[in-house]
Amino acid sequence: MVSLAATFGRGAMTNHWRDIKHADVILINGANPAEAHPVGFQWFVKAKLDPTKGPGAGGGAKIIHADPRYTRTSAMSDMYLRIRTGTDVAYFGGLINYVLQNTLYHEDYVKNYTNASFIVKEGFDFKDGLFSGYNPATRSYDLSTWAYELTAPPAQAGGQVEGPATTQTGFAKRDMTLQDPRSVFQLLKKHYSRYTPDMVASITGIPADQFLQVAKIVGEMGRPDKVMTIVYAVGLTHHTTGGQLIRSGAVLQLLLGNIGRPGGGMNAERGHANIQGNTDHAISWEILPGYLRIPAPGQKNLDDYVRQSAPVKSDPNSWNFFGLNYRNFMVSLLKGWYGAAATKDNEYAFNFIPKPATNSSWMSIYDQALKGKMEGLILNGMTATSIGPDVNQVLQALSNLKWLVIMDPLPTTSSEFWHGPDMDPSKIQTEVFMLPTTHWIEKDGSFVNSGRWMQWKEQVIPPEGQAQHDHWIFADLFDRVKSLYKQQGGKFPDAINAMTTDWYKDPKKPELDEIAKEINGKDLATGKQMSSFANLKADGTTTAGDWIYTGSYTEDGNLSKRRNGIQDPAKNDPTGMGFYPMWAWSWPLNRRVMYNRASADSDGKPWDPKRPGIQWNGTTWTGDVPDYPATMNPKDPASWNPFIMNGEGVGRLFSSAMLDGPIPEHYEPVEAPIANPLHPSQSEDPVVFLYDQAAGRPNRFGKVDKYPYVATSYRLTEHEHYVTQHVPLLVGLQPQAFVEIPEELANEKGIKNGDRVRVFSERGKIEVAALVTKRLGPMTLAGNKTVYHIGIPIHWGFIGVSAEQNPERSKYWLANALTPFVGDVGARTPEFKAFLVNIEKI
Amino acid sequence: MNPAEHFAAPPEWQWWILAYFFFGGLSGGSYAIGTLLRLAGDPRDRRASQIAYIASFIALIPCPIFLTLDLGQPTLFYHMLVDTSGGGLVFKPWSPMSLGSWALLAFGLFSFVSFLGALAETGRIRGASSLASAIRGLPATIWGVIGTALGLFICGYTGVVLAVSNQAVWSDAGWVLGGLFLASALSGSAALLLFLARSRRDVDLDTAYRLERADRYFVVLEAVLIVLFLVAVAVAGSLTKVLGIWVLLWIVVLAGIVVPFLASRVRGWPPVAAPLLALLGVLALRALVIFSAQT
Amino acid sequence: MAWQEKPLGFFTDTSICIGCKACEVACKEWNQLKGDPATFTADSYDNTGQLDAQNWRHVQFIEQIPDNKGTIATPTPIAGGQAWLMMSDVCKHCKEASCLEVCPTNAIVRTEFDTVFIQPDVCNGCRNCISACPYGVIGFNEQAGVAQKCTLCYDRLQGGLQPACAKACPTESIKFGYIDDLHAVADDRLAALQKAGYQKAQLYGRDTKVYGGLNAFFLLMDKPEVYKLPNEANATLPSRNNLPGYVGGVATAVLGLIAGLVAFRSGRMSGTDHTTTGRS
Ligand SMILES: Nc1nc2c(c(=O)[nH]1)N[C@H]1C(S)=C(S)[C@@H](COP(=O)(O)OP(=O)(O)OC[C@H]3O[C@@H](n4cnc5c(=O)[nH]c(N)nc54)[C@H](O)[C@@H]3O)O[C@H]1N2
Ligand SMILES: Nc1nc2c(c(=O)[nH]1)N[C@H]1C(S)=C(S)[C@@H](COP(=O)(O)OP(=O)(O)OC[C@H]3O[C@@H](n4cnc5c(=O)[nH]c(N)nc54)[C@H](O)[C@@H]3O)O[C@H]1N2
Ligand code: SF4
Ligand code: SF4
Ligand code: SF4
Ligand code: SF4
Ligand code: SF4
Ligand SMILES: [Mo]
Repeated sequence: MVSLAATFGRGAMTNHWRDIKHADVILINGANPAEAHPVGFQWFVKAKLDPTKGPGAGGGAKIIHADPRYTRTSAMSDMYLRIRTGTDVAYFGGLINYVLQNTLYHEDYVKNYTNASFIVKEGFDFKDGLFSGYNPATRSYDLSTWAYELTAPPAQAGGQVEGPATTQTGFAKRDMTLQDPRSVFQLLKKHYSRYTPDMVASITGIPADQFLQVAKIVGEMGRPDKVMTIVYAVGLTHHTTGGQLIRSGAVLQLLLGNIGRPGGGMNAERGHANIQGNTDHAISWEILPGYLRIPAPGQKNLDDYVRQSAPVKSDPNSWNFFGLNYRNFMVSLLKGWYGAAATKDNEYAFNFIPKPATNSSWMSIYDQALKGKMEGLILNGMTATSIGPDVNQVLQALSNLKWLVIMDPLPTTSSEFWHGPDMDPSKIQTEVFMLPTTHWIEKDGSFVNSGRWMQWKEQVIPPEGQAQHDHWIFADLFDRVKSLYKQQGGKFPDAINAMTTDWYKDPKKPELDEIAKEINGKDLATGKQMSSFANLKADGTTTAGDWIYTGSYTEDGNLSKRRNGIQDPAKNDPTGMGFYPMWAWSWPLNRRVMYNRASADSDGKPWDPKRPGIQWNGTTWTGDVPDYPATMNPKDPASWNPFIMNGEGVGRLFSSAMLDGPIPEHYEPVEAPIANPLHPSQSEDPVVFLYDQAAGRPNRFGKVDKYPYVATSYRLTEHEHYVTQHVPLLVGLQPQAFVEIPEELANEKGIKNGDRVRVFSERGKIEVAALVTKRLGPMTLAGNKTVYHIGIPIHWGFIGVSAEQNPERSKYWLANALTPFVGDVGARTPEFKAFLVNIEKI
Repeated sequence: MNPAEHFAAPPEWQWWILAYFFFGGLSGGSYAIGTLLRLAGDPRDRRASQIAYIASFIALIPCPIFLTLDLGQPTLFYHMLVDTSGGGLVFKPWSPMSLGSWALLAFGLFSFVSFLGALAETGRIRGASSLASAIRGLPATIWGVIGTALGLFICGYTGVVLAVSNQAVWSDAGWVLGGLFLASALSGSAALLLFLARSRRDVDLDTAYRLERADRYFVVLEAVLIVLFLVAVAVAGSLTKVLGIWVLLWIVVLAGIVVPFLASRVRGWPPVAAPLLALLGVLALRALVIFSAQT
Repeated sequence: MAWQEKPLGFFTDTSICIGCKACEVACKEWNQLKGDPATFTADSYDNTGQLDAQNWRHVQFIEQIPDNKGTIATPTPIAGGQAWLMMSDVCKHCKEASCLEVCPTNAIVRTEFDTVFIQPDVCNGCRNCISACPYGVIGFNEQAGVAQKCTLCYDRLQGGLQPACAKACPTESIKFGYIDDLHAVADDRLAALQKAGYQKAQLYGRDTKVYGGLNAFFLLMDKPEVYKLPNEANATLPSRNNLPGYVGGVATAVLGLIAGLVAFRSGRMSGTDHTTTGRS
């Protein structure tokens, strides 16, 4: 999500599920949608079955799947590439190189809709695997060397021209011929010239001839009448290079002119049914709802905050919508939270918001607990123990706590963590509280899917036993904390006491519908619900609990409840493009394909008239809800660029918003079977966050001599993480933990199908059954090194139907006993998908 | 011809069915032999004929019990005859099991009456002499002939029940199984009667001698059919199914076959040993056919 | 909406089956089947094993990975539903149904929708149908004491609904409808696949060559045997053995009777000492 925001301006699937049926080519990398998103996969199948889609003369969309394992998705694909885990930058880089060398990019698009023509400041460099500005002591980059060269000062003054990393005083210089050696285009070309088919082969293991077959098809997708989508999920994110892996695909898509177009896009398939909603509502520590940044220490007032957080307008034709409105959104949020207590005089209670001084991401929590710096932890619908990484260390962290609260409808490996492998309950002092909550099926509320559709659901069954709704537990907790503050005072009571609960009839039992209404926000003057975030104000007269949802709950009611769908396509899908604007509601402003201005050329004509996103009819934009001013004439030379959220107004091939490099570069996973063929001296990502090292604990990484096999962990259709271990019918479909091992490796090791094996890493072990298969197999790397993958499904632990039936056998079933405790520098995502192990027959 | 490929699931017909096939065969076969002894016309055979009829009926008694116990819903055994969905009776001549159910019912009647007749002849039941005289002569002969037809049907249809399926072995040897079971029922029944004859004193020795000879003929017939069975199974490609562990049962079958020929030559055997071995062979053959196909 | 009394059934297009087993689970949920005890079979991703009384749908997984290089579609396609075959198996609702043919109780009937239905209150558990079904579809439910298999959701059809499995199938690999309509859909799909070079793609049970046509017919990506389906030559009705079976029996009976008569009659021969100790 970080990398999409750094490229296009918003961190979400650019298109939506239904839209995938418009694609000619579907590139799937680091995702297994047939297994992890089986229902969404119907749209892949529809594209495949549609004879008007596809490269060349059509005959159905081509699905190309790159995955270390041959999966159920591969079985549905037209081509399958066995790729080494963690090497997709090299694969995409090779494709980028092919497209650039053979001039297959979409020229008009690249010139006008991307920052290809932008000139990068003198001093930017890339050498021996390091970009300019690296500081080995802090293991970080000084991002200022990645800035644009600036020209004249900005046309108009205003808060929005200042920026975070670059204190900039003008617009970026551009060379529309793309010839300047310091133009992004030429830098890109130079950078990727190293990614030859042979280099791709030696890094990824994909034979060069196979790679070239794919390149030929992909290259065709730069034509305006063809369109390709890239689909990915956590097969790309679960790496220390996750951000770069995703950005490399995004760069390819920009070059091919496939962003903003129906059938195109960079489509992140999200995880849990409502993980998109979670992200939007600030599940990560570094943002506030709607991707506003969390205030940083030193920001004394709103001005400081906005100056350091909002995107900077860096092109005269950039609307810089986000930057322009940053303050409006923030003030409306504060006003929604603190109501009357947020006034102009107290900067709308800006100071009530904490300003975290250290990274507080998910792994940091365990890290703090390990250091003994955390007293208690509330796990709400999250199974810390199972999800890892490095379960043994997580279990240690939980043991260090004074208290642990589990809010969950079911027992989890965390609510009973003292039963974990090699745990001695007599030595654990942690007091554990189990608060039974309702399951989502026992309450109403909304799910926001990957395609950003907020869809309301009804309560299906009444709550069981003493279970309470999560939001009621939190409301009750809040109420109690508030009374404690009232009774006993405290260091900073205002931030709690001033929070408004005006929105709810019963503040201790808020309705989810009331919360949805609150999130949308209202005009305080009229009392009416806001209909668009464009009308939010910075003067304290409007509220918005999450500005990107403004427009979802208007005076017409809760729009996410709308159900005008395929029962009447003629009426409900007037464009015939499957937008179904009256089905539920999608952020932003019910737009179905984001950045859709880029689906049309400079004159406003669709690149492909058969697949229009929006088009200019002379007076307005028609089609999807335009991601653009509805009546802005594209022929007006002053009209805005298409990517309205970026300061540049264009998509970023080169992005200084990434912490580990403006151009995606291949780095090896922290545990890798070979040294990086591109630059062995700088094999892994130089800024990857090494928790153990940073905390003064020894790093526990395995080397290839002791752990010669590459492991990757993943899902199976039959289970939903750990929770379906409680569902007998699903347990029947996949009853026990196993690993998948290639036939050749099994033969070498004398392992027969069904045997029990021990797989171990520098951190722990699992003892499970072996499924011997040809779906995994050897690959040849760096010229002549043979490497095997071992596949590790994640779903088992010591809780659940089969584990409890067989406690002895299930003792070492936690996949995450093996995974390393490291995180990607931006999102701090653990490296679940690439680590080294060894295997032996038990 | 391509080998037949079977993907059918086993019906899990096990011990009850084996027991039924065994006793049903003995019952039908004994009845037939009882009638044959009468038709052959030697008055010395009357005693043996009576024993055959009595044995037939006694062997028949457990048959419906076995069959019922084998059902998943024993109390619904009557659904074999009464159509509870369409009304009326169920009679599906193309379903051997349906036909067999009716045949078993009819044969039960014939066997029972003949049994009573035989008892009456011996004069053991009082007041039965009138019955005995009533079924003497031509009516008795006609009765016995019809009963024999039904009895032989009982011996053979069980093989057809197996054959009319899509199981390996059974359906592969479709045209042999009926005959095979019938021949082995006859040889088994002959052995049974021989056993009874030898273990009692009231049967004429000459009858016993001729029974022994009949047994040998039946065994030859059975042996020929076994060969045909193996050929049919081999042609269909299922030979391996009836080999392997089943070789043990084949040895018993083989012993049952050669024993009638050897018995007269080997001195010192108890006279009942040979027929008992032959009976075991009959059981083994059925077990082999039933079980091998289902594993 | 009510269904017309016309042949209804399934066209299962295995080329777009993603092996998600939603059909298996939906069937169990609707029909309240518990499933067999959970066992790990190490047979690809199939731990269900077979169709039986607890599994009225069963998704097969057939691994056919040709070699062990990272491999790509051309020239011999391994992707596109060819290298890892998945197929959701079910009762075929044969037009000429082996099970229905042999059932002695008339428990198995053909419904108004031309489907094959076992009436649970009529069945007495003789299991003759199990021995007859060439597809190993029917299982014996030990608890209920009756034979069970897919009902083609007779209860749902009567209520105007579509079968649970088809409803759950995300990719429409299982298509439900009037057989005539499904035939047309299947023909189109086959033509497209053949055009795309999938030479082994074929329809199974669409014509009358297997069991007079199947009301649950399939598009297969390989020979039927690969999916444990008898091919045309092997798809024969149990009743084929009725006549030969009885003829063999009658012939044996005749031979046996003659042998018996000969054996018993020739007993009149004199001079043998066997007769001397007789009682008569
Ligand atoms: N059935 C089921 N569905 C689910 C879930 C579940 O638990 N069960 N969980 C949900 C959640 S929370 C999430 S986040 C999503 C995740 O959805 P996915 O990301 O699709 O799921 P994974 O199975 O973790 O990983 C996908 C694939 O990435 C491959 N892979 C690993 N490393 C690499 C790599 O470096 N490059 C490439 N090209 N491929 C790689 C793996 O072999 C695997 O096949 O699924 C959601 N859907
Ligand atoms: N090695 C390895 N590790 C991984 C991954 C991997 O691919 N490899 N994937 C990672 C990813 S992407 C994810 S998302 C995580 C998944 O990790 P989790 O999200 O922790 O996994 P779930 O089993 O989905 O846990 C959700 C819990 O929420 C509970 N629950 C359901 N509904 C409600 C509700 O309404 N309220 C409350 N309070 N609880 C509820 C369930 O009972 C369950 O216990 O695992 C991560 N860990
Ligand atoms: S589990 Fe739910 S969200 Fe996931 S694919 Fe199935 S239906 Fe969709
Ligand atoms: S598949 Fe088997 S159970 Fe189904 S109708 Fe045909 S013979 Fe009967
Ligand atoms: S088990 Fe039931 S359905 Fe099957 S043949 Fe016997 S009575 Fe008919
Ligand atoms: S039609 Fe109904 S009974 Fe048959 S498999 Fe589908 S869900 Fe199960
Ligand atoms: S539900 Fe559909 S796609 Fe899934 S296994 Fe069944 S037939 Fe295949
Ligand atoms: Mo996830």
